[in-house]
Amino acid sequence: MNTVEDLDVNPKIKTSMRKVGLTSYGQILTLSSQDIERLAKLSQGEVTGLKTAIAQQVLTHPLLTALDLQRGTKNCLQNLIIGKLSTGCKQIDDALRGGILSQGITEISGESASGKTQFCLQLCLTVQLPPEEGGLAAGAAYICTEDAFPSKRLSQMISYFRQRSEKRKQIPFGDNIFIEHVADLDSLNSCIHQKLPHLLSSGSVKLVIVDSVAAVFRCDYELKDMYKRSKHMASLAASLHRISSKYCLPIVCVNQVTDSMQSIGKKNIPALGLAWSNQITCRLSLSRTNREVDLPRIILKGSVIGGFPTSIRTLEVVFAPNLPNLSLMYVIDQEGIKALT
Amino acid sequence: MQSQRELCSFPIAPSHKSKLTSAGFLITEDLKHLKPSELSKETGIGLEECLEILKLVCSESVDGSKRNEAPKPAVSALERLKEEQSLPPIITFSEGLDNMLGGGVPLCKITEFCGAPGVGKTQMCMQIAVDVQIPSQFGGLQGEAVYIDTEGSFIVERLVDIAKATVDHCNEMARLEGFKEGEITVESVLSGVHFYRCHDYVELLATVHLLPEFIKKHPKIKVVLVDSVAFHFRHDFDDLSLRTRLLTTMAQSFIKRATEFKIAIVLTNQMTTKFSPGEDSRLVPALGESWGHASTIRVILYWEGQKRWAWLYKSPSKKESRVPYQITMGGVRDIVTSPADNSNDQSDDEPSSKRQKVS
Repeated sequence: MNTVEDLDVNPKIKTSMRKVGLTSYGQILTLSSQDIERLAKLSQGEVTGLKTAIAQQVLTHPLLTALDLQRGTKNCLQNLIIGKLSTGCKQIDDALRGGILSQGITEISGESASGKTQFCLQLCLTVQLPPEEGGLAAGAAYICTEDAFPSKRLSQMISYFRQRSEKRKQIPFGDNIFIEHVADLDSLNSCIHQKLPHLLSSGSVKLVIVDSVAAVFRCDYELKDMYKRSKHMASLAASLHRISSKYCLPIVCVNQVTDSMQSIGKKNIPALGLAWSNQITCRLSLSRTNREVDLPRIILKGSVIGGFPTSIRTLEVVFAPNLPNLSLMYVIDQEGIKALT
Repeated sequence: MQSQRELCSFPIAPSHKSKLTSAGFLITEDLKHLKPSELSKETGIGLEECLEILKLVCSESVDGSKRNEAPKPAVSALERLKEEQSLPPIITFSEGLDNMLGGGVPLCKITEFCGAPGVGKTQMCMQIAVDVQIPSQFGGLQGEAVYIDTEGSFIVERLVDIAKATVDHCNEMARLEGFKEGEITVESVLSGVHFYRCHDYVELLATVHLLPEFIKKHPKIKVVLVDSVAFHFRHDFDDLSLRTRLLTTMAQSFIKRATEFKIAIVLTNQMTTKFSPGEDSRLVPALGESWGHASTIRVILYWEGQKRWAWLYKSPSKKESRVPYQITMGGVRDIVTSPADNSNDQSDDEPSSKRQKVS
């Protein structure tokens, strides 16, 4: 695959290229035309023609217009249409214009106990809903790097989630969430490069969560290794983006916060620095305020919802390609995360 | 260049090659204007073979000279100036930004926007992709755009927001000036943005290679945007000299297209932290020092407190300056200050009706 042999060019050119060992597309496109002319003894016209033939093979889709993207015309488009994954709360969805982006890396950063894992668990449930209800009709892969996976909390959320509609009672939510624990970057990388593709190619998973990315990068590097850390982060992000584009699914990465050194502005900023920020598509920030609210007690189909005081938290869009810098308040109850009405 | 090509690189029999070399014929240039009989006498190669050799060598160089053409006649600086002034720039709808750039994003040049995530690089690109389509009766270029997305941040609904605001603005101007409304619609704007999603640097190189043919087929194209040029060159690139070479070649290709087709090239770049011994670390555009020479105009977008600022860092014709701007639902705009300040801003040469502020 992807060698000169597959091209529709003069066999003489193919032979010349094979003789000098220049057969892969990447190799040929990255060499300068003069170098190829010299090495393979071809004329400028022949090299240009060769590069053009390769370039046409390399492109994964023809140039489309934004109108084609909006309307979803032309079959080859499916991977390019970026939809939304519902967060499970209508108000939050409305603020986010439908939910989180269904491709790219969405980061959820926040201090401990701000609700990051809750948010991720909720997404593991909404992803299993059919597209009409804002889901992607498939399961989730949850990669834990920190504490043990909160199975009890997930069970509780599932039982509440199912109550909401008859259709939901049919979905075996727990069965479609695949959990993996990794301890360090090497095991994270091998999980992503080896285990995940198996799971993803069957189409049974349409959401990948890494909880958290920060844990993997915050301990093993000394000060003098910061350059290496940036390299590894960029490499990890590139792998995640590749998976996102290839299998057409959202990647959610949880990040911690670190103290900001500025005297003005926020106390906390997301960890991992600019090197990581440059790699992500969207950043959401969760935090607790010191205000509390008493949640009214409701009984829904025999289960209790609310009925206790809880902290008011804020969700902020730090950056996103399609959203302004908005913030909204939410609480966490038995069902999960909901906007404060 | 072809005339400098070594003879031994041609498919000539080795025995002939050695005879040519010992007779002193090393490059194509040496064989020009030689008759086969003369070559035969000098080298001792048979007449028929000499004919073949000359045909082979000179037909290649004939192609070469056709390609290299007669050198273009020199153009005076005044003609150049007139040419430049006849090509209107692409406005961004932020008057402050446009003034800083000398009217807007200029054609025939590479303009680079650098900034940290969230400062508005993608928004700027989308704004430009829409504004290049403004009809000529409103002072626009009535062109089309090529948008190359490397990061996956091109979200159509956002482009629709920006297109709507521009279309409304144009329709309002049409109403005021008695033109027909509906010259430009959201649909026409969307269909005028040609989109390509690059997943790695090889795809980016391929797209850049195919650009000239595409532009020839779509002559209305007036801007090519790459958002961002840094993304795929900053991971898994162990050979930095290869990276520099690829970036330089890409930049050269861009500048050629810019001048050949009279279009604007807009690139976005990320920021990185530079550590200098003895100094505080600071943010600088990514891709290194050598990339700094690629763009003609460099604008650094940054945050100061809650405000966004655009800093004209490098320009051949305008002085270094900074302006604040904001991103609204409709796109890139000036920061709206109090009415008293606004009256001082109406200092352009164009009639103010063509440069109405968009809220």
